Amino acid sequence: MNRRLLVIFFIATLGLYAWPAYDRFLARDRDPGTFVVGPIPATGAPDSPFFQREFISPDVPDRIVHVGSICELPYGGLAAAWYGGTREGARDVSIFLSTRSAEAAAWSRPKVIMDRVLASRDLSRYIKKVGNPVLFSNPQGRLYLIYVSITVGGWSGSSLNLTWSDDHGQTWGRSRRLTLSPFFNISELVRNRPVSLSNHGFAVPIYHECLGYFPEILWLHPGAAGLKIRFAKTRMDGGASFIQPALAALDPSNAIAFYRPCGDNRAIGRAVTRDAGLTWSEPQLLSLPNPDAALDALPLSDRRLLLAYNDSPVTRENLCLAVSTDRGREWSRVNTLENEPEAEFSYPYMIRTRDGRIHVVYTWDRKRIAHVVFNEAWVTAQSEAKSP
Amino acid sequence: MTAWAFSFVFPVLLTTALLQAIAALCGRRVRGRMPAIATALLATAIMFIPVRDLPFGRWIISLNANFSIPLTAVLFSGVVRGFFSIRLLDDKALLTCWIFSLAAGLFLYPMALGLGRWDPYGAGWGFSWLFVLLLGVTLVLLAMNNRFAVVLMGVMAAYNLGLLESTNLWDYLVDPVLVVISLIGLGWRIGVRREA
Repeated sequence: MNRRLLVIFFIATLGLYAWPAYDRFLARDRDPGTFVVGPIPATGAPDSPFFQREFISPDVPDRIVHVGSICELPYGGLAAAWYGGTREGARDVSIFLSTRSAEAAAWSRPKVIMDRVLASRDLSRYIKKVGNPVLFSNPQGRLYLIYVSITVGGWSGSSLNLTWSDDHGQTWGRSRRLTLSPFFNISELVRNRPVSLSNHGFAVPIYHECLGYFPEILWLHPGAAGLKIRFAKTRMDGGASFIQPALAALDPSNAIAFYRPCGDNRAIGRAVTRDAGLTWSEPQLLSLPNPDAALDALPLSDRRLLLAYNDSPVTRENLCLAVSTDRGREWSRVNTLENEPEAEFSYPYMIRTRDGRIHVVYTWDRKRIAHVVFNEAWVTAQSEAKSP
Repeated sequence: MTAWAFSFVFPVLLTTALLQAIAALCGRRVRGRMPAIATALLATAIMFIPVRDLPFGRWIISLNANFSIPLTAVLFSGVVRGFFSIRLLDDKALLTCWIFSLAAGLFLYPMALGLGRWDPYGAGWGFSWLFVLLLGVTLVLLAMNNRFAVVLMGVMAAYNLGLLESTNLWDYLVDPVLVVISLIGLGWRIGVRREA
């Protein structure tokens, strides 16, 4: 290269790096954000205990359903999503959506919002099957769906995709593939409830499941008008430790994560963050068992934590609730939602709606998606009934 | 849309290289401007043939949506050499590419797949030490008159333009296929030297 060309290349190189550097140091929309802990609504008089149980999905013979999630719609409505098909991981698995307005007595008839054909069309690539969906919404009522898709292999070949709806799930935007792994973008999965951030983004708990098994956080920032999505990923732990993190944000900076264990450990893992999820403590094993199944945790209004989990090291035959008053170190069992030998009650997913009620959806023996609604007064009553 | 269009570049180059190889096996040398244009057009047409509602090129992308810029540059250099006997990337640049890609892959993949709590892949989202390091390497290689520097400039230009589906700089820099090719390339070089 002659001297003049070399100088041009030097200047060009510096110019190429100027834009990302500007974007990092001077752009205004780079606030990492803190956790948004929703205000607990003041209901005036103390609530009396309330508890209600129902099914969202119908019982369809020879079909399984699994991995339910639920979120609140504007004006008090609810939306739930799950996957169903002939078996877990089958090519005929579809992702279903059902909604219920505040006034309606029953859930709408489930409709398919994603399957391998729709995903293949949206993503312009071959999709062998779809899997875990997680449904959540922003304060403006936009619904987001993150779902797993697989091109080759089993769950370890999973990638994550994002789509959204501005009409309560009637129509959905074109899915976008999220590149989250440098190794063919595989082995990234989602299961648990995202936490809203102060910068209008979300901290989405995800996990890696190939060679290493470990929890991560997807930092999702729907940009202006939700059209320019930015995202990044950070690791909560490494190696082959835990998966499926459930986040319980206590305040803007502090949160507790509860993990499904991997390997020989059959106890729930716990880690804490004090910097809004940027770094996490070494996980500690709790005294509560885990049969290699998903769990969920939710903060209550009085800084107690509520946990939904399988209370067994080997089976998913029961689904229990426990309460902690010390940030999740020690737990008191308060209620058994389900308990039946040989059956499976699993993958609980909890939210709190603006009216203060707590909603739990879970897999009911792989046949239906069950929905349990209760209030904090019921939790307190259960807790007091259990205490000596 | 930009990333979707660019996703056909690697499959088209790969098909062009395959057509060159097939022609060579048949004892025909495809050289010169017109044969090059014809072969490239044929390769492009093949990539857009719909197969079960997807252009054929997107089936390749289904397996890996982010072929790195150095891998694309190496393939482009090979295709140009086949048509015009021009070496865009000389031996020095290729050797640098193999060493750089292998080092990057050995550093990135074990940790990204769970070795330890730290994930270097996170440095690829937004300006970080990775960008500073890459800038330094590019400037040093430029000063050393190494053509791989131009490839690294292409990496950064492609990142700024969002030519890949990924928004992470690592995916523009290295991919698993490039690491395997780099391993083979380096092994071959070492073998040739020993024979010499």
